[in-house]
Amino acid sequence: MSGAVALALPRPSRRQIWSIGGGKGGIGKSLLAASLGWQLARLGKRVVLVDADLGGANLHTCLGIPAPSRTLGDFILRRVERIEDVMVETPFPRLRLISGASDVLGAANINYQQKVRVLNRLRSLDVDIVLLDLGAGTANNIIDFFLISDVSLLAVVPEPTSIENGYRFIKSALYRRLRAAAPTAAVRDVIDAALDQKNAQGIRTPLDLLAAVEREDAAAVTRLRREMTEFHPRFVVNQVRSPADIAIGHQLVTACARHLGVRASYAGFVHYDDAVWRAVRQRQLFVARDPDGVPAHEIRHIARTLVEGETMALAW
Amino acid sequence: MTPRVETHYAVLGIGPRATPEQVDRAYRHAAGLYDEEALATYSLLDSEERQQARARVEAAYVVLRDAGRRREYDLSLGMAETVASLVPSPPVVDAPARPPLVVLPDPVTGPDLKRFRESRGIPLREIAAASKVGVRFLEYIESERLDALPAPVYLRGFVQEYARVVGLDPRPTAQSYLARVAGGR
Repeated sequence: MSGAVALALPRPSRRQIWSIGGGKGGIGKSLLAASLGWQLARLGKRVVLVDADLGGANLHTCLGIPAPSRTLGDFILRRVERIEDVMVETPFPRLRLISGASDVLGAANINYQQKVRVLNRLRSLDVDIVLLDLGAGTANNIIDFFLISDVSLLAVVPEPTSIENGYRFIKSALYRRLRAAAPTAAVRDVIDAALDQKNAQGIRTPLDLLAAVEREDAAAVTRLRREMTEFHPRFVVNQVRSPADIAIGHQLVTACARHLGVRASYAGFVHYDDAVWRAVRQRQLFVARDPDGVPAHEIRHIARTLVEGETMALAW
Repeated sequence: MTPRVETHYAVLGIGPRATPEQVDRAYRHAAGLYDEEALATYSLLDSEERQQARARVEAAYVVLRDAGRRREYDLSLGMAETVASLVPSPPVVDAPARPPLVVLPDPVTGPDLKRFRESRGIPLREIAAASKVGVRFLEYIESERLDALPAPVYLRGFVQEYARVVGLDPRPTAQSYLARVAGGR
């Protein structure tokens, strides 16, 4: 559980790391990453998509290209020295890919030093945006990539399981960040206890956690609260079918603020469209195949919103 | 977990200068959030907590929707600012009465307008009520039913009204939309 904050390296003004996490598999996260990368490239950004789903990489399939012969795993295992050597062109201008490492046994459990090396090299790439497609689940590797990102996107679909996992993801990420900032072992112990949902202290939410820490160490609370304000996940609601589904994004933001004390925002939504899945089966990138379709427009809107640093605020 | 004492304004996530329309909209949002079926809170709150939250929302709305009761309530508060909550940085409470007007990139299409409206959670009937433009015409605008749209001089006014209610900058929105549909007529 160490090192989440130590990974927060100095941020150059132009180059940014974005990530898409989601807690749950099968919610279209890789497709979102691929199409968001495509739209960002269309907006003139030089983008490299990184398949950071180290256990089940498939971003290349979403882009409609064969599995690259060299992957992030080769870089991690030092079969190649430079990260540029595992970066491949895609059929789309300004969009490149670093494929995942599903072929490398054990790569899903890279250690701390390997992680730092990957992140340092990603930050040094000569591009505008590094877009990480994170794997499913809440493993520390995934959370750390999420935490170091300049833009941390959290994909959900309007289904109970996905939203429950989304909250779990937020809590795991936030607790990891708070733990790294905890000034004393006693405070770390409280945070560790909170990670167990059935903890004896009755800590269910980050706000409960702050109250428990305050009882232990009043001075530490100020610091943890500051960490909380700097934690800023952005929701993308995928596969919406109705205005009520679209409203879920706004509800998640309010629920995070009121019940978790987390300052989230709503980056946008994408409608469910059968054409997307038909394109996937044909191993084509659906936004490129149908750039005037509704999902393509919606993803363009998300890309623009994020590039311009805006959010979908409610109208009051 | 939740703040000990919350004003009715804080419960609905609005500022004390909120208009009646904003109160209605905030109420719908909050009521949806704590609905028994609400996906956004089902795994965060148990049934009893949701029920309590709903009761707070209803209590707030009963007062704030009624001009007389709202005035009385404001006086009882001394119109002080909202009570500070435990939430480190609440994004909605104390927010300015309205976010700045948005200018969509050119060309503005009917589906663009619809998408923006839906993202703000504003039903067409609300635009109709505020603008006196019928729901049917608003639907024509969104679906770009060129055969059914009125003459440009009226259409410009309709689109500007639509834009104003959803929070888009009326003038450039109408200009871009009209330029686009003029090409299709």
